[in-house]
Formats: sequence, C-alpha cells, structure tokens
Amino acid sequence: MRKWLFMLLVVSLFSLPTFSSGDTKATCIVCHNNMVGTIEYQGKQIELNVDGERFEKSVHGFLSCTDCHLRFQENPHQPPSGEVPEELRPIMEKVSLKAKVDPVALVACYNCHQEVYEDVLSSVHGRNITEKQSTDGAFCIDCHGSAHYIVSSEDDASAVSQFKVVETCGNCHGSPELAEKYGIEANVMKSYFESFHGKKHLLGHTKAPTCVNCHGAHAIKTKDDPTSPVFGTNKIKTCGNCHKGANEKFVAAITHQEPGPIPHYAEKGLIILTISVIAFTVTHVLLEAYSDIRDTFFRKKKEVEHAESEELSS
Amino acid sequence: MLSQKNSPLDETQEVERFNIIFRIQHIVMFTTFLLLAFTGWGLKYAELKDVSSWWIRIWGGPKVAGIIHRVAGVTMILDFIFHVLYLGYLLLTGKMKIRKETTVIPLPKDVVDVVHNFLYFLGISKTKPKFGRFTYAQKFDYWAVFWGMFVIGLSGLCLAFPIQASYFVPSWATGWFWQLVAVMHSDEALLAIVFILFWHFYNEHLKPETFPMSWVWLTGRISLKELKHKHPLEYELMLKEQEGEGK
Repeated sequence: MRKWLFMLLVVSLFSLPTFSSGDTKATCIVCHNNMVGTIEYQGKQIELNVDGERFEKSVHGFLSCTDCHLRFQENPHQPPSGEVPEELRPIMEKVSLKAKVDPVALVACYNCHQEVYEDVLSSVHGRNITEKQSTDGAFCIDCHGSAHYIVSSEDDASAVSQFKVVETCGNCHGSPELAEKYGIEANVMKSYFESFHGKKHLLGHTKAPTCVNCHGAHAIKTKDDPTSPVFGTNKIKTCGNCHKGANEKFVAAITHQEPGPIPHYAEKGLIILTISVIAFTVTHVLLEAYSDIRDTFFRKKKEVEHAESEELSS
Repeated sequence: MLSQKNSPLDETQEVERFNIIFRIQHIVMFTTFLLLAFTGWGLKYAELKDVSSWWIRIWGGPKVAGIIHRVAGVTMILDFIFHVLYLGYLLLTGKMKIRKETTVIPLPKDVVDVVHNFLYFLGISKTKPKFGRFTYAQKFDYWAVFWGMFVIGLSGLCLAFPIQASYFVPSWATGWFWQLVAVMHSDEALLAIVFILFWHFYNEHLKPETFPMSWVWLTGRISLKELKHKHPLEYELMLKEQEGEGK
C-alpha cells in the first residue's frame, strides 16, 4: 500500500504542472518535443528536438531541464543568460570545447557525478582535452550519448552495455589516423576480435571481457602510465580479477601487439603444411574416385585384374 | 599363389580385425573429434558473428560449448594415452608382433604403393598395389592422430589450463608462446577437420565398395573375401601361418 502511495506521489510529481520540478520540464518539452532541425548559435549547430518520451524513460527522466541547462531562466527562453555556478566555472573553461550544444550542461554532470567526473578529468581522455585542448579525448556524451537518453549500462540499448561498449570504443580506436597521431596500437580492435576474449564476446558470452574490464573506464590511462591497470605488473592483478592465480608468465598471453616472428612464421609454415596435405588428399581422393567409377562401370573384370596382380608380385 | 578355387578357407568366413578394446577407443575418438570440431568451428570463425553465434547457440551457448570442448578434449587425450599404453601392453606380452605385412608403422613399401596407386588411378598401371593389414591410406589416417595429439592436444591443454601451463613456460618464451599455441591449435584443427572430411570419409564411407560405411568399426570383423581383396598381403600371411600350423 505504501508502495502504491509512493508511486502515486511520483506520478503526480511528473504530471501536475503546478509542481516546480515538473513545471519547467513540461513547459520546455511542449515545444522541444515538436521542434525539428537545428539553429546556429555561436558557431555551433544546435539540435532543437528533445524526444520527451525517451527522455522520461532515461535515467535522467526525473531531472528538470534547468538542473543541467543552468543558464536558461525564462520561459520561453532567451539566449542563455544566467550565472554559471562558481565551482563549475574552471571546469567549464577547460572542457567547453567538447560540448555539442550547451557547455554548461556538460559540466552540470559534475553536480551529481562528482567522483566519476574527476576520474574522467584525470584520465588520458580528460587530460587530452583539458591540457592539450584537443577534441579527441572522449568525454561524457561521446560514450554515453546525449544526457537526455542515457539508459542504465545494464540495458542492452546503452552505448556502454556489455555488447555495445566495444563498438563504442571502436568509434575512435578503430581509426588508424588516431592511432598514428597518438602513437598507440593501430590494431586494437582487430587483435581484440582475434583473441579468445573477443571471439567469446562476438559469440555472445555474457562474461567475456570487453575493453573496460582490462583498461578501466572513466579513469582510463595510457599503458605507459604506472597507474594503468595494464601497466607492467599491474596486469597480474587485473587479469587475476577473472583468472585466479594469474602470474607474470600468464599475463603475457593477452596483448594487442602484432604477433612476433616466431608465431608469424610458425603460422606460415602450418599454412603451407595444411595446403600441401589438403592438395595431396584432395588430388588422391578425386583420382581414386575417378578410378573407382571407371572400375565399377567400365571394367567389370576384377578377378582378371587380381590374377594379374598376383602374377606381378610373384 | 593361391587362387580362389583351391583356397582352403571359406571366403564368407569372418576374422577379427579390431577387438572390442580397439573399437571402443575408436568410438571415443570419433565422438570427441566431432564434438571438438563442431564446438571449435564456431569459435574459430567467431568473426562471422551471425552464423557462428547461431551455431554456438545450438551447442548450448558459448559457456556450454566451451565446457563441451574442454571435456571432449581431455577425454580424447585420455583415449589416446590409453591407446599407446594398450599397444605397449600388447607388444610387451607378445600378443602383438611387428611384422612388415601387418604393422601400422610406415615402411618404404608405402611410398612405392602411393606411386603405384597413382599410376593405377591414371590407367598407366593395370594393377592395384597389394596392401598389407594397413594400406598407406590407413597408416596416414592413423599417424595423423599422433600429429594431431602432439600439436592440437598439447596446445589445447595450454589454452584450456593457461594458469597451470604458465608454470611450464620459460620466461624467455612468454613473448611468443601464447600466440604460437593459439595459432597451432586453430590451424592444425582446421587441417584435421579437412583431412578427415576428404581422406577418411572417402576411404571409409564414400568409396563405391564401402558405401555407406565400412562396418568393421562396429563389428570388428572382416570377411576373408574382403580381406583378400583389400589386404592381400595380410591374407597370404594368414594362409601361410595356417599351413604352418597344419604341418
């Protein structure tokens, strides 16, 4: 009963325009739900449409528009004019280049996700943005998509779900230009899908490790950073999360590096062996089949042949 | 030599070719082989995502298919070890003797037989080579299992039990060892499957005289007529021995 009362309360919060939280949202959505296309504002193409239904279903559906879009005040609104809170300003200066629409909304994530946000700022992705002022580093919306439609990572529709996250990382890490620019392994995607981890992932193994299981997610570091989970002997602990008893010789099994000369030439040798054996067996079988057909249909005199063969051997 | 007319043996009479212990070994071998091939195929070609994941679901999904593959692999290796021990026992107790007409060990004559047989296929020779208990084709089939056990079996153990295997890997080899065993396992498994598909299937199933299959794997017995036709040297040796006993 209490549960039902609670539900009723939640529903009424969303549906009654008199409540403040529902108020701004309902009034914003009324227009933005039906708007199509973009407008140009300060050199950026700004998408106007917000799918109200999808937003309601997202993990952020309970928020009010102005919880993130902090500088919008009136309804209908003018160009953003409100104050940016003091504590968000230094972050905003550093990351605003990553905002697709509203740089304030991008730092507003910090209000609720402080710990994760700081992880991202300290990560190789975040530092590429804040220190080099490059748009290459992945920020919140690059992996999770628009904050309007974020669903739980447990949900298959999430871009960071078990079966989508590899593709999401691959959006950038599958690019040879990016690999060359930053001097990182170019074949990370290919080598992952060729590894047993990647093969199991492709086949739908729900426990098969993806990028994030080894490399981490928000606080991701380069493999040369001593705090990276794939740096040197840190691998023993990282691999040990799944492979109990992992040791230094074991952790060498998984790498994105191209095979060295020994496996490379061993494979070449085995391919030559395979082709030779198959060529021999196929030739043999086809010729034998030919002679068997010939003997069955055109030479019905096996006894004579046998007598001949015995003569030959004696 | 003996012709059909004055043969002292009844042609329809059967002799034992493989005893029940060998027959069971063979059944375990081909059952595990098929399970390994079916479950391994999906993993090898995982990049064909739709087909392979559908195929693996038939085998109970990736987790179950993985368990089937490992259990079948270990069973096959145990079957192989038992085979070698059993051969050792038969040889040591004198129940099996190594003779050129009956041994499965490759001999120079097998190479001659291959050439001879090719000449027969092409119609250049009018006669077929005379085979012993094991034709070169059967010897090839048999020793292929040893090669497979060595290459695929050992690499498979390393892949199935990597932590345990890592204790045996010298530290200077870790840089290439794991990639090497993965390549060995996958490439040679493909060879084994294709080899069995062509060689074994043609020789023991599709040949007009054998189709749909040679029943010797089940009954263990072969008629003297068939023995004389397919393994004349063994047949002659058998006759000679019987004459010797008669004297």
